[in-house]
Amino acid sequence: MIRIEQLAKRFTPPRRLFGPAPAPVLAVRDVGFVAADGRITALLGPNGAGKTTTLRMLAGLIRPDAGRLEVDGLDVVERPRAALARMGVLSDARGLYPRLTARENIVYFSALQGMRRDEAQARAEALAQMLDCTALLERRTEGFSQGERMKVALARALVHDPANIVLDEPTNGLDVLATRALRETLQWLASPAGGGKCIVFSTHIMQEVERLSDSVVVIAHGRTVAQGTVAELGARSGTRDFEDAFVRLAYADDAGVTP
Amino acid sequence: MKLGAAWTVFRKEWIDALRDRRTLAVVLLSSVLMGPLVLIALSGLVASFESHAERREVVLAGAEQAPTLVNYLQRQGFSVKPAPADYEAQLRRSELADPVLVVPADFEAALRRAEAPVLLLVSDSANKRSEAGSGRLQRLVAGFNRERATLALALRGVSNELLEPVRLDERDLASPQTRGTQITGMLPFFVLMAVLYGALNAALDTTAGERERGSLEPLLMNPASPLSLVLGKWAAVAAVAMLIAVLSCFSFIPAQWLLRSDTLAALFQFGWREALWFVAIVAPFGAALSALLMAVAIRCRSVKEAQASSAVLMLAVSLLPLVGIFNPGGEERWHLWVPALAQNTLMTRVLRGEALGAEPVLLALGVCAVLALLGVGFVARVLRRAAVR
Repeated sequence: MIRIEQLAKRFTPPRRLFGPAPAPVLAVRDVGFVAADGRITALLGPNGAGKTTTLRMLAGLIRPDAGRLEVDGLDVVERPRAALARMGVLSDARGLYPRLTARENIVYFSALQGMRRDEAQARAEALAQMLDCTALLERRTEGFSQGERMKVALARALVHDPANIVLDEPTNGLDVLATRALRETLQWLASPAGGGKCIVFSTHIMQEVERLSDSVVVIAHGRTVAQGTVAELGARSGTRDFEDAFVRLAYADDAGVTP
Repeated sequence: MKLGAAWTVFRKEWIDALRDRRTLAVVLLSSVLMGPLVLIALSGLVASFESHAERREVVLAGAEQAPTLVNYLQRQGFSVKPAPADYEAQLRRSELADPVLVVPADFEAALRRAEAPVLLLVSDSANKRSEAGSGRLQRLVAGFNRERATLALALRGVSNELLEPVRLDERDLASPQTRGTQITGMLPFFVLMAVLYGALNAALDTTAGERERGSLEPLLMNPASPLSLVLGKWAAVAAVAMLIAVLSCFSFIPAQWLLRSDTLAALFQFGWREALWFVAIVAPFGAALSALLMAVAIRCRSVKEAQASSAVLMLAVSLLPLVGIFNPGGEERWHLWVPALAQNTLMTRVLRGEALGAEPVLLALGVCAVLALLGVGFVARVLRRAAVR
């Protein structure tokens, strides 16, 4: 389970040699939500809403200015390594090592997670089977397609069988088939047969949310503006079309887009 | 757990670096083979000078007009060769390796009448080999002059002691090894370059390269401390640098079998002992340089940017040893405090067969250890910030 409360983060851009000090950027003002086990939670928001910053704080890469981040009851700021051991994160950057094979890429991360060698090998093969990329395992990742890279990066993130899975825009750059395969994998992982994982993913694509998520957290201008199922959000904004509902919720403050 | 993660990172980076075959091949060609190749080329040059000096030949144009001079030259053990007709053109084209002494038509008669006939020494200063021989010709003509003068004065009853009130004797204090360092003095420089180029690619790839590929952020999402990640990376980079350095040091051993000059081969004594000393001196330097290169590169978003940023460091490492090379013997205390220069100084001492002394070795080791600590500490501190920017 992932719980985030009243998260805030401001960035101060580096000062130029001449000229005035730049104004700090409020990337995240007040984000808070709870993602339950066995459910897929979508973070939906326009570009620059603060989704990636929120997920980076969750992964312990950035220290928040205020607020709390909890993974299975573990505070991320106080015990970042224990929290990371319970999380599999597919970040915005998903670079692989081009001179290593897909298997070596995956086993490297499992070794860093503290897994034994034979255990890691078996896990790499099981993941490859689940993601349907067994044929890729012994190839060097140089020259992999976007979809192939994504599969290896996902296998790498899931190598320690984490109870919580965090994905930043996972379908970026994937074609229809790859997107569909990923969707099925995530649904299986959240189901009791797949381990009932707690899955959080960020996106700005409406259809993905409608098809995949059990609950939606709408983020705009660094704030959580709404939370609920797709149907609930539609009902709240008084429209049956999810896109209209999203625009009303996310851009409510903006001039010109009044309901 | 901490060292376990560092060991995992070390193994991965080591394999990764060794699989970069193209870069390794370039480094091997440019820095490991360079030293022995230059040494062998130099030995060829020295050998050609030596064989020339041994030939004891003088080229004369118009030798038949100067039997007295030819007689003198032959008594000095030189054989006289007639000059080819187009000797000027041949000298210009560097085909003729000897300067030519031109004898005027009435040399013998003018000499008898004491009219001071003029000999003409023709050489080409752009033709290095003929230049080397012209000094010898000048000495021979001076000797001829002195003999004629001594004879003339002795006939008039003047003692030889009056002509030479002062005598000059020479004694060379240089041992064969110190004489050899004049030529082998640049060996340490080649070893230092090998360390630099060995470390360079691995250092940039594990820091700026990791940022450029976007693999640093996922790497930091593992439950391993940044310090253990950096320790593993640094150890791998230093190991690659050492591999190149060891290859470079030991490549001089087979190289000396190919030396073409016997004198040079006798002067250049580089065996297993010297090679091992070289490795021991250069190892801490490689470790420090790796850490510094990583510290420079972690601030850069791409390998290309990092190459530009590390240019200053590379220039310093290539230029500092030159202080020692251009100033041989002028070794000063502060040299041992400066990395690269200190290693150059110590390796030169090994080549000369001098005792190193514990204090200079420990001093150089200490400076390198401090630099390595600073570099590794800095990279570990900024690693998180670098990943997200």
